[in-house]
Amino acid sequence: MSDSDLLPPLPPLPPLPPPPAPVVAPQRAGNPFAAVLLAWLFPGLGHFFLGRRKTALLYAAIVTATFLLGLSFEGRLYSPEPGQPLTILATFAVYGAGLLNLGARLVSSNPNGTILSVTYEYGCAFLLTAGLMNLLLMLDAFDIAVGRKP
Amino acid sequence: MTALASLVPVDHFVIMTLYALLISLFFALLWRNGRRERAALFVKLFLALVVGALAVAWLMYPFPA
Repeated sequence: MSDSDLLPPLPPLPPLPPPPAPVVAPQRAGNPFAAVLLAWLFPGLGHFFLGRRKTALLYAAIVTATFLLGLSFEGRLYSPEPGQPLTILATFAVYGAGLLNLGARLVSSNPNGTILSVTYEYGCAFLLTAGLMNLLLMLDAFDIAVGRKP
Repeated sequence: MTALASLVPVDHFVIMTLYALLISLFFALLWRNGRRERAALFVKLFLALVVGALAVAWLMYPFPA
């Protein structure tokens, strides 16, 4: 009697998984540093540079409208104040809006806003949000430029 | 600049809804690619912001200012 007569027959092996897809280096859409710089200068400009023109125009419209509404609600374009550490974060957020912020500081007769205005808090919220939106757009432009985002 | 503000009534709900609209549009464009996916996310975000704010306001209603 041989060993093969004692052992039960082995079950059939499962099919092999398909071979892994070949690793393809992400395709660069453009110079990432130029895209980030342009995205900071004006909302949507980084996306425009990377060829996403329709989206770029929509981003420009949304962020610019948010910023202008913030100004018109008499919000504040923050600057760092001694003894007020949170103003450093707020300044960083507002400076995210790039040329919109710099231009508004030059043009506006009241960059500190009107604290007694009913809409002051809304204005600050809109201005900070516009700057933070543009910071996100800078990161998005970088991701697109290096091929991380389709 | 105040001309722009004069277009928007000074009303908490209207300004909050305008803010929710801008935020929802922005994130729907940023986080989704297809037209349908963007529309779905926009509706979800907008409703979450507006209905969420109303719910919080309703919960805070019994508390004195």
